[in-house]
Amino acid sequence: MNPELSQDLSLLHLVWNASLPVQFVMLLLLGASLMSWWVIFIKLFTLKRARQLTDQFEHEFWGGSDLNALYQRISSGRESVCEMGRIFEAGFREFLKLRGQSGQSINVILDGTRRAMRATYQRELDSLESHLSFLATVGSVSPYVGLFGTVWGIMIAFVGLSSVAQATLAQVAPGIAEALIATAMGLFAAIPAVVGYNRYTHDIDRLANRMESFMEEFSNILQRQATK
Amino acid sequence: MKPVREAAQVRRDNPKWAAGALAFGVHAVFVLLLVFGVSWQTEHPAPVMVDLWQSVPRAESPPDAVKPPVRTAPAPAPKPAPAPKPQADEPPPPKAPDIALEKEKQRAETARLKKLKAIQAAEEQARKEAARAEADALKQVRDKQAAEQKKQALLRQMEADELKQSMANESAANAARAARQAEAQAAGARQAALAQTVGRYRDLIRATVRGNTRLPDNLKGNPQVRCLVKLLPTGDVVSVRVTQSSGNPAYDAAVVRAIEKSSPLPLPAEREARAAFVPELSFSHRPQE
Repeated sequence: MNPELSQDLSLLHLVWNASLPVQFVMLLLLGASLMSWWVIFIKLFTLKRARQLTDQFEHEFWGGSDLNALYQRISSGRESVCEMGRIFEAGFREFLKLRGQSGQSINVILDGTRRAMRATYQRELDSLESHLSFLATVGSVSPYVGLFGTVWGIMIAFVGLSSVAQATLAQVAPGIAEALIATAMGLFAAIPAVVGYNRYTHDIDRLANRMESFMEEFSNILQRQATK
Repeated sequence: MKPVREAAQVRRDNPKWAAGALAFGVHAVFVLLLVFGVSWQTEHPAPVMVDLWQSVPRAESPPDAVKPPVRTAPAPAPKPAPAPKPQADEPPPPKAPDIALEKEKQRAETARLKKLKAIQAAEEQARKEAARAEADALKQVRDKQAAEQKKQALLRQMEADELKQSMANESAANAARAARQAEAQAAGARQAALAQTVGRYRDLIRATVRGNTRLPDNLKGNPQVRCLVKLLPTGDVVSVRVTQSSGNPAYDAAVVRAIEKSSPLPLPAEREARAAFVPELSFSHRPQE
């Protein structure tokens, strides 16, 4: 009887019949969701690997192996190196260079070494934290974008309602349903992004702490070696 | 530095494809879940017909549909739901006002309304009568049921009375037996409690006396002194008499003095327990326990 009643209310149908702005919002959110999941997985793998390599490096470093041999192995670039290994490499290279120049005092040598290590540390931290801001953005913005799509869709649905004389729920229901899909998508994009952002920030903080304490301890070792 | 950087870059490239595939996988799973997991409304719902009698749209019936009263006037049949009226699907824009047509329409409308009212009244009447008849029948049935129930209840009452009587007899016998048993038990318990109290106070008195005893230097072995102590109910020692000497007069005297010094002796508060100590207490003492 009523053409609205016999409508197909499946998901794809709802998305397909949505108004253009709502479809645009949905597309945007789908893209954001895909990207954020991509970043989440990339970071998951990268951070896991960084943790493993750091554990391995710390084990080697404190295992009493020769620092020169370790430096040779790392700077040859044949094996994958963790961030801490690169800090060690930069610091030890600077130390060797400064020590080679005669007439440098211990303080100057150690200051130079520390500066080199600090620079590498900043660079590594930066590369670890790359793309995390994207997760934060998706987490905070996509609910609003979804809400915008919903509001727009409901607006359209009510405008359509005003042009018919006999208002029934069946005339607005599909419109509202398709509009609400936008909110659902926004939340679907936002929740994993926020969770991932928090988790990875915490993980990176812990890694950074480990690197910083390593820098201090390594400076001590170098100082002992220089005074010998 | 450069080779290291490049190596790092190569390593970072690796997870990208895997991550992308996983991201797509997550979305595919989610969409599949939504499409197949949620029961979306896809079949056409059965058409529902609704007739609103009170709010028949007046102004909306198009001017050229003057005939509806003739068409829709339902015969005053026992069928409660008359044939559905044709719905005004698309009200065309009202034409130029035609007074004659309007008037005729109004007349037809009022006639139709009158007829409707008559039909409604008749239906109301029929419904009321039917309800009354039904209520009567129901009442009869209920009366019969009530009588049946009363009879049953009486029978049950009688049975219950008999049962109660026999049970009362039995329970009286039981109660008597239980009371006797309880009495015996209580007596036993009281006896035990009394014995315990007496033992406790005997130990207490012995400890007090022992604390006050100064053993003489020339004491040898572990001889026993037995005394008979006369006591007042308050525990005050009236007199002490040695009934069995230890063989060492100094030790005998020391014990007597210790008992006198311990006056008043600690006595239990209960009269029955005190009977073991008052008025005479046989008391034995050894230097070492």
